[in-house]
Amino acid sequence: MLGLIAVTGWLSWPEDKTTHVLPVARIPNGRWVCAVHSGLFKGADFYLTQAKHRSSAPTRFQRVSHTPGDDAMNDRKNNDDTVDQPPRRLVLKGLASAAGAAAFGVPLFSGMSFSAMAQSQAKSPIGNFPAGVSGNTVFGGLTVDLTGPYSAQGEEQRNGYELAVEQINSGAAQMRRISPLTKKGVLGKTLKVQAGDAETKPNSAVQLATRFITNDKAMLIAGSTSSSVAIALENYCNRERTIYMAAISGSTETTGEKCQRYGFRPCYYAYMTCKALAPVVAKELGRNRKAAYLIPDYTYGHTTTTQFKEFSAKDGGWTSVSEQVHPLGATDFSSYLINIANSGADTLVVIDYGADSVNSIKQAKEFGILNKMKVVIPYMSSFLANSLGAEIMQGVYAATNFWWTMAENPKYPGAKEFVDAYMKKFGGKRPQDSAFVAYLGMALWADGVERAGTFNPPDVIKALEAGTKREGPTGPVWFRGGDHQAAVNFPIVRGKKPADMRNKDDFFDIVEVVDGASMLPPLELFGCKLGEYV
Amino acid sequence: MPSLSLFLSQLFNGLTAGLLLALISAGLTIIYGTLGVVNFAHGALFVVGAYAGYAVYGGTQSFVLAVAAGALVALAVGLILERGLVRLFYDRPPEDQILVTFGVAIILVEIVRGIFGGANLSVPTPEWGQGVEHIGSLIYPRYRLETLFISAGTLLVLYLLLFRTKLGLIVRAGIEDSLMVSMLGINVRRAFFVVFGLGAMVAGYAGTIDAPIVTLQPDMGFRVLIESFVVVVIGGIGSFQGAIVGGIIAGEILSLTAIIDPSYSQVMLFVAMALVLIFRPQGIMGVEGRE
Amino acid sequence: MSPTSTHSAVRRGLPEILVLLGLVVAPFLLPYLGFSPGLMTRILVWGLFGIGFDLLFGYTGLLSFGQAAFYGTGGFTTAYLLTSGTANILVALLAGAAAAAVAGVIIGYLTLRRSGIYFAMSTLAFGEMFFFLENSLLHDYTGGENGIAGVPLPELSFGFATIHITSGLSMYWFVAVFFFVGYLIARRIVRSPFGAVLRAIRGNPKRAIALGHSTQHYKLTVFVIAAIYAGVAGGLLGVFQGFMPPDAFAVDTSAQLIIQTVMGGVATLLGPLLGATIWLYVFNVVQGVAGIGAYWKLILGVIFVIVVTVFRFGVGGALIRLFSRRRSRATSPVATPGSAVDRELLKLDIVPAVASDQPVLETRGVTKQYGGLTAVDDVSFSLAEGELRGVIGPNGAGKSTFFAMLTGELPTTSGNVIFRGRDITGIGVTAVCQMGMSKSYQINQLFEHLTVRQNVAIPVLARQRGRFKLDMLRGMHRMQGLDHQVEAAVALVGLAHCIDSPVAELAYGEKRRLEIGLALATGANVLLFDEPLAGLGPEERVLVVELLKSVHKRRSIVVVEHDMDAMFQLADRITVLHEGRKLAEGTPDEIRASAEVQTAYLGGVEEHEPA
Repeated sequence: MLGLIAVTGWLSWPEDKTTHVLPVARIPNGRWVCAVHSGLFKGADFYLTQAKHRSSAPTRFQRVSHTPGDDAMNDRKNNDDTVDQPPRRLVLKGLASAAGAAAFGVPLFSGMSFSAMAQSQAKSPIGNFPAGVSGNTVFGGLTVDLTGPYSAQGEEQRNGYELAVEQINSGAAQMRRISPLTKKGVLGKTLKVQAGDAETKPNSAVQLATRFITNDKAMLIAGSTSSSVAIALENYCNRERTIYMAAISGSTETTGEKCQRYGFRPCYYAYMTCKALAPVVAKELGRNRKAAYLIPDYTYGHTTTTQFKEFSAKDGGWTSVSEQVHPLGATDFSSYLINIANSGADTLVVIDYGADSVNSIKQAKEFGILNKMKVVIPYMSSFLANSLGAEIMQGVYAATNFWWTMAENPKYPGAKEFVDAYMKKFGGKRPQDSAFVAYLGMALWADGVERAGTFNPPDVIKALEAGTKREGPTGPVWFRGGDHQAAVNFPIVRGKKPADMRNKDDFFDIVEVVDGASMLPPLELFGCKLGEYV
Repeated sequence: MPSLSLFLSQLFNGLTAGLLLALISAGLTIIYGTLGVVNFAHGALFVVGAYAGYAVYGGTQSFVLAVAAGALVALAVGLILERGLVRLFYDRPPEDQILVTFGVAIILVEIVRGIFGGANLSVPTPEWGQGVEHIGSLIYPRYRLETLFISAGTLLVLYLLLFRTKLGLIVRAGIEDSLMVSMLGINVRRAFFVVFGLGAMVAGYAGTIDAPIVTLQPDMGFRVLIESFVVVVIGGIGSFQGAIVGGIIAGEILSLTAIIDPSYSQVMLFVAMALVLIFRPQGIMGVEGRE
Repeated sequence: MSPTSTHSAVRRGLPEILVLLGLVVAPFLLPYLGFSPGLMTRILVWGLFGIGFDLLFGYTGLLSFGQAAFYGTGGFTTAYLLTSGTANILVALLAGAAAAAVAGVIIGYLTLRRSGIYFAMSTLAFGEMFFFLENSLLHDYTGGENGIAGVPLPELSFGFATIHITSGLSMYWFVAVFFFVGYLIARRIVRSPFGAVLRAIRGNPKRAIALGHSTQHYKLTVFVIAAIYAGVAGGLLGVFQGFMPPDAFAVDTSAQLIIQTVMGGVATLLGPLLGATIWLYVFNVVQGVAGIGAYWKLILGVIFVIVVTVFRFGVGGALIRLFSRRRSRATSPVATPGSAVDRELLKLDIVPAVASDQPVLETRGVTKQYGGLTAVDDVSFSLAEGELRGVIGPNGAGKSTFFAMLTGELPTTSGNVIFRGRDITGIGVTAVCQMGMSKSYQINQLFEHLTVRQNVAIPVLARQRGRFKLDMLRGMHRMQGLDHQVEAAVALVGLAHCIDSPVAELAYGEKRRLEIGLALATGANVLLFDEPLAGLGPEERVLVVELLKSVHKRRSIVVVEHDMDAMFQLADRITVLHEGRKLAEGTPDEIRASAEVQTAYLGGVEEHEPA
């Protein structure tokens, strides 16, 4: 886009009592664009609209070709104002003569002309396409948390992405299980990625994505450990017409109310886990239990609570006896736990994530609450077990994106391949859920591009929306076309007794691997409207 | 209407939490009260102490050694900071002191992250602190009950140190008139050096004492810093007794408001602080006219 | 307009012209250095945010850790109005600024009750409070942790034309216009009399109050101005990236602003812009370097500490210093010894004194107690019009405390102070100064970072403008008679030869005279001098004694002094304080003859005699 402003200027000519001033921009391959004045002062004169408004808004700009062979323009005469030649008396004032206010004005208008021009071209640039794939490589920007509260998850995600990239570029057999069309690289181009620090801050994440998209010509942005980051990024990437693949994001809104055409979520989320977990815990722990909730005070906390209450009431007759809404990032839970201890609850549902869940469960243990209550965690980062230890985790029911013992189940050959490859690459470390989601997201994107046969974002999106089933580490996986939510299987786990652990990472038994597809909500439930492709 | 037993439970919890807050804030108020420096690296020193304690606890399984290590590492960091950096700032405006300690805080936290990673770590409760105690209808963690005495005891020791020893006398005289004290042949700079180290040590010590209760996270220091600020503003900055009063008030606010609506308990803390600023800007135990 | 005035106008406007040029040229040059339009726009948003903060911190010395509260308030107001479609872009930005201003008034009123560290800490806590409010209480409007996404791109409708701004370069121009306007206004502010008072507050808040400025009003005003800048910047942030992030409210945002401003250079207005460039460059470039990417914050922390420790004025400050040093070498100071003192005195305006029989200044039973200690005990005293009164007494006699109560710097424990028939007990030093009484201090209370001219301008401005005036867009050079009054006062104390030198470069004796000059320049007709001869050599003493004599011609004066010879030579009457009580009062001869005074005080006079 930047190169387009190489030459800019003004067109102006006197007519009647008015001087008409037209901004003109010339793009490097010789095309001129300008806004044309139509008639006298009635309505908008410089009407340069974004592509998506094109059908409704009166388009009063035109392009004038000075370059032979510029067929695209002539093919797409789409409005009646268009003239083929500039008026004779047009005066072209170049940059040299444009001083002061003019110098200021020139790039202003030329900047706006880009969008005007883009829409009327046959294969016009969309996002970084085709500029981002002109060489032998294609770039992906990773917005992961290297500092901040989720820096552990961020590092895992980076590992997961790097493993996927390595396998994509070498055309590894494991990768071809998910993306069968992959040879070496993506459509023959070497995939390059770079990780940046999103700091778990939406603003930093967007800033990072801006750099990846504008400077590095990224064709993909990927990574998140919080829904606020994921939502910010899908919104931004949608505007910049660049595909965004979230990593961890549990909020309903990501593929609900705030869903975007360019955003995809390869992990399960609150609704799915509540729907899946409620019958399991009703069966395992019994019906008609009295639940107390620990709820971090933000949108995710509130919606997840509502959903778990609904499903647990429906599937198990559970009731809520205490809801402790606390500030996000609280460190001392004593006063909430005293309330819970006094509430008569027999089950503790921990909506908290990350440090909040570690703190709250650890302190619940100290208050003797875990002796009296069972713990259920609808959305768990599997790091929790490492932080709390098996002593506390035993008997806890939780859902998570992935657990490494799935590799021991012959039903999931992909899981074994993934765990083995990960451990080999990262010095024997077992992958956690964050690494898995990252790996899966990258692989699914590569598959989408291969199936589309082009990097052109709308085509890739359509390929991803096609719902082609692929075999992921946790079984069949695909994106639902209507909201870009992955139908992905995920395990429900129960904490092992310390005595039963076979190694230091063996914290959980898998109770059930949930069939993701059947847990998806009806498409219209959360009001997703995906928006335009271009 | 909450039951009386719940109210009493929360009242008691507020006291325990409050004394712990007082302990956490003590280092901040000691350094300010004597050197006039607001140590924005206070939270970071807390983190340094907590992580050092975590490392030693993991290696030796001795909580006492862990506490000693936490305190000593923070002391060492504090002494190095004073000699290498903070000393240069005694004669500069308070804003510069804030800025430099703030920068140090960033560095310390990022170093901790570099060494220990960003994952949440948890320090197990020491053996003698495991289990629960029954106090009336309240079931209370034994370790928390013990922190009540640990905090109170430590604060008493610090009080005696600052108000009943020669060091304390020199230090307090040094604030009033450092020139006069030096003329009496006493090395004020050395006293300041010791006090900065002491403040840092108390922060690190509080970090290790608090570690079995909370989860370790490199970024936790910031919340500690803010809570300490609230405590000392309410109590009166630079006043040692003020830190205790402020800590207990803050603890009770957090605990008692949680009975009604826990989501507002944190905000209430700041509301209380605003009220103090309006009606008694120098803080409850603060001395009028001291800026 | 004459050529010279055109020249000086151009010269005055040079920074503005350079900034404008820079903004215009940047998008043509910076892309070659890897700055995308998005990055440049982001830097401008931080830069605009930072201009307000620089006015607050760099110029006024108020270190706020709560600027994020205003950035967020303005940003979310704007974003909410735009996404809900209730306002167009300009109205929405205006509303954001207004909301930020309201928040600024509230937080400012509460936090400015204290200064220094207390202020820093309480703004930090208020910033946190706003974060909770955004996240919990106002969750329905702000989107909680998700912020407000889908902020529409701006459309500027002019009736005959509508301009659609897109992301990329046109957004840069859009934001650049706001930045430039913000810069212009800030430049006007710092060059106005209002701005001069801000500088004085930073340099020596106590003296600024004593010279008759209601600093609390100035502080609150500049706090609100900074909040407005933050509000507009926040609004632009949401518009620029189509998304209003909840972390705009986070304390990290305030911290980043502070770090950027300090790194770039305080009191330069452009320092924050420079600092933002450094920060974002490190964020963008260092992160890309394999192996050290995760340590970008550590690296920034180290840079920051180094800048604060050894490079106090930041990058921008260093550049300006380099530039101005070169310029000051070119112009050599012209030495004009202040001889015609009398003539100059006539030019200096004095608050007109209403002639009457009653005493000019009177105390009735004034007492000051500190805890159990009584520093001043039941002193009654009366000063006649045109009198020069000496107050003497041994160390610890309570002279300075007594003085401080006369000017309202210290509240009395009991008793009253009456000035020209009005009870001024407890009205405060600012009001007292405005009524026409001022004091020079025993220990110099100057504005060390300003020049002599700028120092003396502070009291003159208080005289001409009153205790508080919102003339922040008025040029200093347009103040009628300001230069004349300043030069008259400077000439009076014999400092005309170094009028444009920074105070830090003056000799001690010169500083001492400037100290007196500050009190004189208030135009006070009652002057109190607290040991004006303290620490002066014999020649300087002669100069100052002459000065006091000439000043006396149109003013009533009280002098506290240890130098007995000077005192007996100057004073019409002398009051002797001893252990907080009035021991004796009378003409110099009477005092000299008083046996009581001799035993209590003069017995030890040799110690105080000048060598």
